[in-house]
Amino acid sequence: MIDVTLKRILSFVVLVLVQILLLNNVKFLGFITPYLYIYFVLSLPSSVSKEMTLFWGFLLGLTIDIFCGSLGCNALATTLIAYLKPYFQSFFGPKDDYDEVKPSTATFGFEMYLQYVAYLTIIHHLVFFFVEAFTLSRFWSVLFSAFCCTLFTLLMILSLEYFKHRRR
Amino acid sequence: MRTLILFLLKFKTLFLFLGLELISFLLIVNNNQFQRNHFLSSSNRVVGTLYNLSNGVNKYFSLDEVNESLARENEALNTEVVQLREQLAFFRQDTSYKGRRYRAAEKSYDFSTAKIIYFSTVRQKNIFTINKGLSEGVKVGMGVVSEKGVIGIISNASSHFATVMPIVSTLSKTSATVKGKTQLGQLVWKGGDIRYANLEEVPLYIPVAVGDTVVTSGYSSTFPEGYPIGKVLSFSERNDNLYDIKVELSVDFDKLSYVDVIELKGSEEKEELEKKETAKFEK
Repeated sequence: MIDVTLKRILSFVVLVLVQILLLNNVKFLGFITPYLYIYFVLSLPSSVSKEMTLFWGFLLGLTIDIFCGSLGCNALATTLIAYLKPYFQSFFGPKDDYDEVKPSTATFGFEMYLQYVAYLTIIHHLVFFFVEAFTLSRFWSVLFSAFCCTLFTLLMILSLEYFKHRRR
Repeated sequence: MRTLILFLLKFKTLFLFLGLELISFLLIVNNNQFQRNHFLSSSNRVVGTLYNLSNGVNKYFSLDEVNESLARENEALNTEVVQLREQLAFFRQDTSYKGRRYRAAEKSYDFSTAKIIYFSTVRQKNIFTINKGLSEGVKVGMGVVSEKGVIGIISNASSHFATVMPIVSTLSKTSATVKGKTQLGQLVWKGGDIRYANLEEVPLYIPVAVGDTVVTSGYSSTFPEGYPIGKVLSFSERNDNLYDIKVELSVDFDKLSYVDVIELKGSEEKEELEKKETAKFEK
């Protein structure tokens, strides 16, 4: 149990560090930044309660916000997907009654996992970008950049999954 | 019972979720200047729209007042302009101290603004009425101008109204000259188009060019010296060694609404002289 928690905290720290030190400096084509850190929320196993998922999500978003200087934006978006995540997991995940299911291409199957990740990522990005813009007057340009970043984030999450499974 | 607990548990998550989102939102609004301003301005938009509406209505009601205050301001500014113009002209011409004092005492004007309440520009003997009369110090023989140029002379005054004979009246004769020249001419109007008048009795030996400014002469006690009248549009030479100059008037008589009555601040002796003049004129 302690081992699991420790591993979780470690992956939290690593993802936050990668996000703030590396990925936030990526400005592909001037505006595309991948938000890989949500991978942490997405891959929380089903044994984690909904409340704990929410707390993790909020904490993760807040940490990113503190380092990005966009206090609240990431927290809001990440809390939202942390709230939705259990429902999406039960919808896309395996219907068999496992004790613990950690979302991945292995447990979900590639197609289901892709859908699961894609939906949550796009929700997160849309909310994040619109909250950051805080206006509907630049609707189309905000929508466009949200979609571009979603593609980039998806690509990174899938490659991360791919490498994890090759290692095993 | 179990379903109830489950239901409550589900609610617990929802409340927790809403609480965390609220915290995030408060963080956003309190810590990010841009979002904060946007949020505040959006919530004020409804009030702002209402305020704008009532302001728009109020503006129409106060248009009269605004006009009047602008006219008053014009009046003050005009007074200043003419005084400065006089000073300038005088400093250019006369450098003797004695002459300076004499002229300063003599040539001093005051403007008072009046509104035109009736104006006929159709008839040959054009006339218009202004809303100031004897009680406001308007007297027969005073000059009437606008900021663009000369308009006419007060021809009649009652206690609160006065009639003005404009320079576009066949009865009007104004002493005028081409700017920069001392030789006098007479500005007359022969009917027809109220945009043009004629400058007569200018001798042929004076060089005149199209575009020259026609101004009031300094010998008149009605208008300040050098007040604009119009511009030379064309000229022809007549047999009797005089020009026939067509002048494009600088005042657009079709669009007049406020005018300035010029009051000459002179000695009483001068006023008496003027009375005699007027009496002669009326015979």
